[in-house]
Amino acid sequence: MEVCLLPNRQADLVTTALFYRAGTRDEPAAHRGVAHFLEHLMFKGSPGFGPGEIDRLTQAAGGVNNAFTGHNLTAFYFAFGADRWRTALAVEADRMAALTLAPEAVASERQVILEELAMYEDEPWDALEMAVLAALFPGHPYGQPILGDPATLRATGAAELADFHRRFYGPDNAVLVVAGALRPEAGRWIEEAFAPLAARGTSRPELPPLPPLPGLVRVERHQGEAARLLLALPAPAAGSPEQGALRLALALLTAGRSSRLQQLLVEADPTCLVLSAELHDGSEAPYLTIAVELLPGVEPRQVEETLLAELARFRATPPEERELARARRVLLADWAFAHERIHTQALVAGTALAGFDLDEPRRTLAAALAADAGGVQAAARAWLDPERAGVLGWSLP
Amino acid sequence: MSAPAPPTGWEFRVRRVEGAPLVAVRAWLRGGARAEAVPGQCYLTGRLLAEGTRRRDWRTLAEATESRGMVLTGTSGFETHAVALDALAGDWALALDWLAEILLEPAFPADRAALLCRQARAELASLADQADATTARAFLDQLYSPHPRGRPLQGTEESLATLTPEHAAEHHRRALGWGGVLTVAGLIDEAAVAERLAGLAAALPAGGDPLPEPPAPPATPLARREIVTRGHDQAHLFLGRLTVDQDDPELPALALLGIVLGAGSGLAGRIPTRIREREGLAYTATAETAAGAARDRGRLVCYLGTSPATLSRAEAAVREELARLVAEGPTPAEVEEARSYLLGREPFRRETARQWANLLATAALTGKPVDDPAWVIARLRGVTHSEVAAACRYLDPSALAVTVGLPVTG
Repeated sequence: MEVCLLPNRQADLVTTALFYRAGTRDEPAAHRGVAHFLEHLMFKGSPGFGPGEIDRLTQAAGGVNNAFTGHNLTAFYFAFGADRWRTALAVEADRMAALTLAPEAVASERQVILEELAMYEDEPWDALEMAVLAALFPGHPYGQPILGDPATLRATGAAELADFHRRFYGPDNAVLVVAGALRPEAGRWIEEAFAPLAARGTSRPELPPLPPLPGLVRVERHQGEAARLLLALPAPAAGSPEQGALRLALALLTAGRSSRLQQLLVEADPTCLVLSAELHDGSEAPYLTIAVELLPGVEPRQVEETLLAELARFRATPPEERELARARRVLLADWAFAHERIHTQALVAGTALAGFDLDEPRRTLAAALAADAGGVQAAARAWLDPERAGVLGWSLP
Repeated sequence: MSAPAPPTGWEFRVRRVEGAPLVAVRAWLRGGARAEAVPGQCYLTGRLLAEGTRRRDWRTLAEATESRGMVLTGTSGFETHAVALDALAGDWALALDWLAEILLEPAFPADRAALLCRQARAELASLADQADATTARAFLDQLYSPHPRGRPLQGTEESLATLTPEHAAEHHRRALGWGGVLTVAGLIDEAAVAERLAGLAAALPAGGDPLPEPPAPPATPLARREIVTRGHDQAHLFLGRLTVDQDDPELPALALLGIVLGAGSGLAGRIPTRIREREGLAYTATAETAAGAARDRGRLVCYLGTSPATLSRAEAAVREELARLVAEGPTPAEVEEARSYLLGREPFRRETARQWANLLATAALTGKPVDDPAWVIARLRGVTHSEVAAACRYLDPSALAVTVGLPVTG
């Protein structure tokens, strides 16, 4: 198990974040959703902690806990006062060793996930995102919905959950980050909790090659009364200079009210209510998204044309130094705000270690801050051209 | 620390926060939507503050702040409208200068007001696409209307058509007279900040009209209301009633009862345990006892999203849990666990500069030292089991208002 201690005494708090290198990409096709299903069952009973006991212990200690599943990893975290965080180690070691997986608990949690699925289907942005990712990675594990679907969930029971746990939830496939006001004995406590657990020799299934996209793929859904657009484009690998330049390009285009696309679509002559963008770089298939929600009465085609035309203009003309300086400052401030809390520091470190290495986020930021006008334009030409490869999804009334 | 004496009705609070090199600057002005003359007036006022001053238009202001990596926000609530600037710590003086300019020399430009009203209408339309939000909105209307908390901060489609920049200017002018609080928290030199604030103190107006009181919520809200949402799969259920305001001595007991019920960590409370953990009826099942308690009364809210097929069963289960608490009260162990939870949460409320700036502002406006951990801890420790048991009378299922949001195809 990889262990990372991040001492930080800014507050009397400690976060533990345990990441497993297992997620939706590792699931058998007949049991899509098993990674997320198992994440739920990790709270439903292990030899030392009965159903509901983890939440009760957490609450009694004034802490919080939660978990999330992604395509590439699954993470569990606790945040406690610095004098009581050791409880988290006992819980994590116990449920890493074994789970109860009682049939009634499995059946009940399946129902909960079916409700979760219904909730996402009812939310226009969530439903659009699932459709766009399915088109961006057609037939590939990265395009599969994390929750699975009703049929695969019904086909998944205690045996499949136990198998996934056995294959992927061993110490040799885990990264533990403990951040906060740590005492010197923290390392020893971790050693005592996890040393008895044997490695399982985990090997992840080979990912199939990413299917090439035939240019710009269109997706259209009909839901709600507002029109929503989600553009998804492939992106370069995390930590690379090219991704740094693309990150700076994206900040220049979308971060803050004075960014190009915000001015064009939201602020100056508005056709959209909100615009946001994100670089999703936690996997072997990084991608970026640009999302806009239209003002009522605006013609969707007009927004699409404006967005694509601005991207074309950006590819054609290098940005001005003034714009680059602003974007760099925004990225720097974003970094400071995002790392203000001990809890966030732990999650960022865990994500980096589970996918890359501890220094990856800082390297990515440094690469973005170092990018110049030529690099940004080159990145834009390579990666901000939807006609080459991408998915343009609409959710229309 | 306390900064130099501001004029009557105003308070300045400054605090150094060790940690990230950041600073949070806040100006909260009293009044809020509860004091507005037209629905949406306060919302427009808050938003328009970030849209330009007499010296800089919105574009120049945005470029000036963003080129420093600052985040400038104009916001509003039911009790205040506000300006927030989050910046790198080295820019604290600049942030304070801009705050003063925004507060004292706002432009309220007509073109931006028209845009914001259009955006507000779009926000209302967008919310209507979300079945849970639509149902929550109907529930608040049921509990509070004609009080302003019964309507969206944005106002209504009709009121937004009538709002002008003059409405915003008038609300802001009156709010400056009602007073407010300026807070600065972050990796700063407290004395240097206090000195800078002295200059601002002289420019703030002292005193104004008395704060108007909004119409009271209904004594007996409609018992049950069903609406059809734009959802396709899930039904949404809200049960609740008004409970107490921020000054009510029962508030700490209700806070503990809220944890027993489901406002605490994970799925430990009685409602999530029964609805999600035991019966698997919902992904989201929550409960609070004094949500939004401030000058106005907060509310008991039990919420869940479930399949239309299991809605009746889920509602019966919630009612059963509430009735059981009314009849039997919480166990001593539950009360102690709730107390332990809230005591344990204390350090989490004061971790960042932004949290501190908001806590200082809340403390100043409520007149309660919520920023002082010793006060908060003593208050929680002082609640007895019998006080929590007595607060269970608010849970009487026969006295609750219910709002159900049904899917369009359900």
